[in-house]
Amino acid sequence: MRKLLRRILLVDFLEGLRVTFRHQHPKKIVTMQYPAERPKVAERYRGAPRLNINPENGQTLCIACDLCALACPEALIVVGWERNPETKRKDLINFTYDTSRCMFCGLCEDACPVDALELTQDFELASYSREGAIFDRQVLEEGIQPTRYKF
Amino acid sequence: MADDPKPDAPEASKPGSEAAATPPGEAAAPPPPAPPKPAPKPAAAAPKPPPPPAVMQTAPWESELTASLKEEFGDAITEFSSYLGQNFLVARPGAAIPILQSLKDNHGFDYLVDITAVHWPKRDEQFDLIYVVYSFARNERIRIKVKLKEGDRPETAVDVHLTADWLEREVFDMFGIEFEGHPNMKRILMPDEWQGHPLRKEVSILGMDNNWVQQNLGIESGQ
Amino acid sequence: MSGTFLDSTELVLNMGPQHPSTHGVLRVIVKLDGEKVTGTECVIGYLHRGVEKIGENRTYAMFAPYVDRMDYVAAVSNGLGYCLAVEKLLNVEAPPRAQVVRVILTELNRIASHLLWLGTHALDIGAITPLFYCMREREATLNIFEKYCGARLTTHAFRIGGLQYETYEGFEQECLAFCDMFLPKCDEYEELLTGNRIWVQRLRNVGVLNAEDCKAYGVTGPLLRAAGVKWDLRKAQPYSGYDKYDFEIPTCENGDSFDRYIIRMREMRQSVRIIRQAVADIPAGPIMAKVPKVIKPPVGEVYVSIEAPKGELGYYIVSDGSTQPYRVRVRPPSFVNLQSLDKMARGSLVADLVAVIGTIDIVLGEVDR
Repeated sequence: MRKLLRRILLVDFLEGLRVTFRHQHPKKIVTMQYPAERPKVAERYRGAPRLNINPENGQTLCIACDLCALACPEALIVVGWERNPETKRKDLINFTYDTSRCMFCGLCEDACPVDALELTQDFELASYSREGAIFDRQVLEEGIQPTRYKF
Repeated sequence: MADDPKPDAPEASKPGSEAAATPPGEAAAPPPPAPPKPAPKPAAAAPKPPPPPAVMQTAPWESELTASLKEEFGDAITEFSSYLGQNFLVARPGAAIPILQSLKDNHGFDYLVDITAVHWPKRDEQFDLIYVVYSFARNERIRIKVKLKEGDRPETAVDVHLTADWLEREVFDMFGIEFEGHPNMKRILMPDEWQGHPLRKEVSILGMDNNWVQQNLGIESGQ
Repeated sequence: MSGTFLDSTELVLNMGPQHPSTHGVLRVIVKLDGEKVTGTECVIGYLHRGVEKIGENRTYAMFAPYVDRMDYVAAVSNGLGYCLAVEKLLNVEAPPRAQVVRVILTELNRIASHLLWLGTHALDIGAITPLFYCMREREATLNIFEKYCGARLTTHAFRIGGLQYETYEGFEQECLAFCDMFLPKCDEYEELLTGNRIWVQRLRNVGVLNAEDCKAYGVTGPLLRAAGVKWDLRKAQPYSGYDKYDFEIPTCENGDSFDRYIIRMREMRQSVRIIRQAVADIPAGPIMAKVPKVIKPPVGEVYVSIEAPKGELGYYIVSDGSTQPYRVRVRPPSFVNLQSLDKMARGSLVADLVAVIGTIDIVLGEVDR
């Protein structure tokens, strides 16, 4: 009799629904609505490379010492430089960083003596062509500009 | 793809330092008089340290085990040494399997950890074949080293330790050392139709890459 | 196995390389007599990247990120083994603080590796739910890695001589919070699986490997301990300060798949125990030993092995005194353990083969290197 009543009143069914709805609580939702809602990666995250600029005068911090290129296991960094006849210092001409071969090990950023090269928190590295994965100085300084979708 | 990081550094540094470095394991011989200065080092190793001793600084290894092995095998074992606290012995080619058997039966070394090889192209005996054995009872690990010439066919260890099967196949695959009496001596990691043995020193990554693109893509270099 | 039987014909079945339960690209050629497996042959090498050859062409420091890519679910353990081997070659030791942080991260990684194993193994057997739970808890460990060193999977967390990164603020609390969170979850998995009749029946007496066979095949790790051999390199030959911690080596007797499951569950609990002890006592001090900028070990050779989640992971490094290793040999636990598949699977049913492959806990990145 009790069993029948339970069945008629859908007790088990409601019990199940209660569990389901309890897990619908916004706090318990694990899934992230990715392009609309962007994950916050850790501060030390090793993502897209960036060449830092001195905020005071807008010049690059890189001193073209080539240490990052020597430290890189995949030899994917090419530093182009020219000696400035006036200051007798190396001037950075170009800087290419081939992210298609990069394994984001962080050895280049460890090697940099002036904190110019840095692996940042940007993680959207996809591009439509292989050439797009090879970053030149401009991209490295301005950062990648992935398409932002509106919802 | 995986180019040598510094275009000329590895190629230049290897022969130079190798000429100076007699292979490890020959420590017992007196140090060569005035080792030839290594060839000029590339820029990568700029801060020049004093030239390191050319041979492995081994210490003699003596214990009950060595005494008993010496008694059993006599001069089939040419050297008992220890480096950084790790003991190894150098045996004559034919003696490795009897030694493994004796270690297993009489001394409790019942676990063959690894078989591997090292290629020394400059040497007359081109290969070092290394067996690592461990004893659960004694908690001790030793290495057995055998020097082989090109084309030598050492005996298989499968009859002593079953685990030698794949390990020996890998050594064959990577170095081209064929084991006599192995039940299934064929390549294991590389494809069956692969030419050459990749871990030999004369094979270079760049060379393999170029060969492949020349054959399959018809271009000169993949870099 | 050659020759035909009287009434039945032998069927050769190809399993993999694209089979979901082979955990990667393992191909097993199975010989069948009806439903019974009469022999297996593994075809491996699909994921061979020549790690050892790459090692000969890189400097010591440069090679460190590559070893993470062998056993990619336990990258931290790989890195630890490599760093310890080169440190031994250089005759330096990481400072105490670095050692403790290394232990914490390695144990977290062991938990992550076992969790992934549990989830996928349960999925192979047919229990889908644990996978999601395991992934959820594994995420917590990966978050700690991400915060600590900036990468989640192929971490490159350690450097030769110590650590590159100082612990972040709240590292200890997060590790402890993970431990507190994880133990009840462990009970939850056990509640789901240990008493589950389907689970027990699929695993009991499947893939039995006794202690003798384990030694003959060189099998290490949870498989060996499930067969009753109380052997763990962390206790037998302690490295990185493992002798300071109080933990047990779980063992079972039967050496079947179910015992291996029990062993791994207990091992995770022991890892939590180690993490708690280590976090409680992180000494202050430097995190990097005095290691020259250009690493140039003297001529020599070492074999150093650690207890990775899958078994004994060994590095045999020969130095010729230059900046690059002359030879790097990796003794991968999965490769050696996989060899015993034939012994374990012979005589069982095809469906059990899936359970046996799962129970070895192979990672093909490490088998093929």
